[in-house]
Amino acid sequence: MLDKKAVWTIAKKDVYALRASVQLWLPMLVVPVLFGIVFPGVLLTWARLADLSAMSSLGKLVQMLQSISNSSGKPDFGSMPSENHQLVYFLSLYLFAPLFLLIPIMSSSIITANSFAGEKERKTLEGLLYTPITMKELFLGKILAAFVPSLLLTAGAIIMYGIIVDVVAYPMFGRLIFPNASWILLMLVVVPAVSLFVILINVLISAKVKGFQEAYQLGGLAVLPVLGLVVSQATGMLLLSPLALLVIGALLLIVDVCLVQLLAKYKRHAFLDHHV
Amino acid sequence: MIDTQQLTKAFGSNRAVRELDMRIDKGEIVGLLGPNGAGKTTIIRLLNGLLAPTSGQVRVQGMDPIRQGERVRALCGTLTEHTGLYEHMSGRANLRFFADLYHVSDPGRIEELIDLLELRSFVERSVGTYSTGMKKRLGLAKVLLHRPAVLLLDEPTNGLDPDGTKQVLDHIKALNQHERTTILICSHVLSQLEGVCTRYLFLEKGTKIEEGTRKELERKYIRERTVEVEAALGEPLESFAEFHPVRLDDDRFRFTVPDREQMAELLRRLASAGELYGAQTRNADLESIYFQIRRNSHAG
Repeated sequence: MLDKKAVWTIAKKDVYALRASVQLWLPMLVVPVLFGIVFPGVLLTWARLADLSAMSSLGKLVQMLQSISNSSGKPDFGSMPSENHQLVYFLSLYLFAPLFLLIPIMSSSIITANSFAGEKERKTLEGLLYTPITMKELFLGKILAAFVPSLLLTAGAIIMYGIIVDVVAYPMFGRLIFPNASWILLMLVVVPAVSLFVILINVLISAKVKGFQEAYQLGGLAVLPVLGLVVSQATGMLLLSPLALLVIGALLLIVDVCLVQLLAKYKRHAFLDHHV
Repeated sequence: MIDTQQLTKAFGSNRAVRELDMRIDKGEIVGLLGPNGAGKTTIIRLLNGLLAPTSGQVRVQGMDPIRQGERVRALCGTLTEHTGLYEHMSGRANLRFFADLYHVSDPGRIEELIDLLELRSFVERSVGTYSTGMKKRLGLAKVLLHRPAVLLLDEPTNGLDPDGTKQVLDHIKALNQHERTTILICSHVLSQLEGVCTRYLFLEKGTKIEEGTRKELERKYIRERTVEVEAALGEPLESFAEFHPVRLDDDRFRFTVPDREQMAELLRRLASAGELYGAQTRNADLESIYFQIRRNSHAG
């Protein structure tokens, strides 16, 4: 039987610890503000107002946009009234999307590494293991304490970003271009699935390693696939369609379920066995 | 209450606990004594199900700490060397947190412990600012929250000054008397446990080398006794020659006697011949017993 109060107690304590530690939450706040709000705001405003025909290299990008939009299912860049329209549309709805995956990945791994491996390092984890809580309750509390803040942070950043996009783009398009189906799926399916994936990976890593640094560095490996996504997205090789997002989200959820099952096998007495 | 049979725990090729048979009955205070690395902490972890035995058996109140871990841990209060307190939280926040985990719903219990362990003056401050003694007392309050029937204390007086040590040990004894709490104290500082425990268990390299009450151990290991007396001798010193007298001061002398009976004889003579103001045995303390045990165990 699961004791919800114990889960909640652990989660609350971790969130409190997060709040009390400026060096933890400050970078987690700065990155979304900078990459989710400031840079996109500046870049989109520039893309709307600049004289793009004067720039030869951008011309190539625009040509490329026109060529990929020929294939079915992709937005019809060719029918847009100006190159500025095309660029704003491309930047706001496609280029920045993967950045908003980096936010939950970063925050989930920092919070989890700190709460699990960090407790090990500060010798408080053993104290928790001596209490009557089950491993399930302990893991759930820790997962919740990373999942909720990271989701709230990402949602906040996406909403702020959406407001900026619509403020810049509305006068051009005469309608709200944000959010489209892909963004809604990104927020509701992919972000939670990715967050959970990163948290579970980090919990598994944290259970094995000795300290925060080690956990954080290993956990950083989880960021690599997303960096790949950003690069491929930027070069126009892959325009994430709603279907692709659904498939990615579903695959991640399947992996998440497997990871949860792996975690459920984790025994209390395996924690200290490696290190004595 | 606590029962281990042939309990062995190995980490790789290193056997930290070897074929340990240990039985602790309800209401006992047992001192687990041994140098650092003797396996004391490993035993505490095995009793709580934080480690699984390599072979042999552990039972706490008849329960297996691995299979019935939650119930065993609800029964035990374990104070480890690192108290496991959260430094950024206040003492009170720590107590509330652990009260929730131990299912302690009575808010009066926290107040009770704050008074009992005299935490009031610093309990609202964050634990990071505490002295070692404050942390130990708060740690003790933490493990007492759920009124454990078994108290497992790993080096509870480590890092404490003499005042703090006395305070903690007095609390432990009082707890045993008032609530019949079964207590296991691990320590390498033998002199502190003198007079605290009902029974002692000596551990070396994971092996039990001796156990017994203070009296049993003294009988077995202390033969020749050295006694220091403060007295006005009614007779010349030479007449005590059989007791190997040494004059330490004007009125202080040291004698050596072969056994307890001879000690009684010496004291009788001192008192009847002159004035006996005081006498203290010098080599029958726990530490002397311990060294004797170790000598014996190494010899054979």
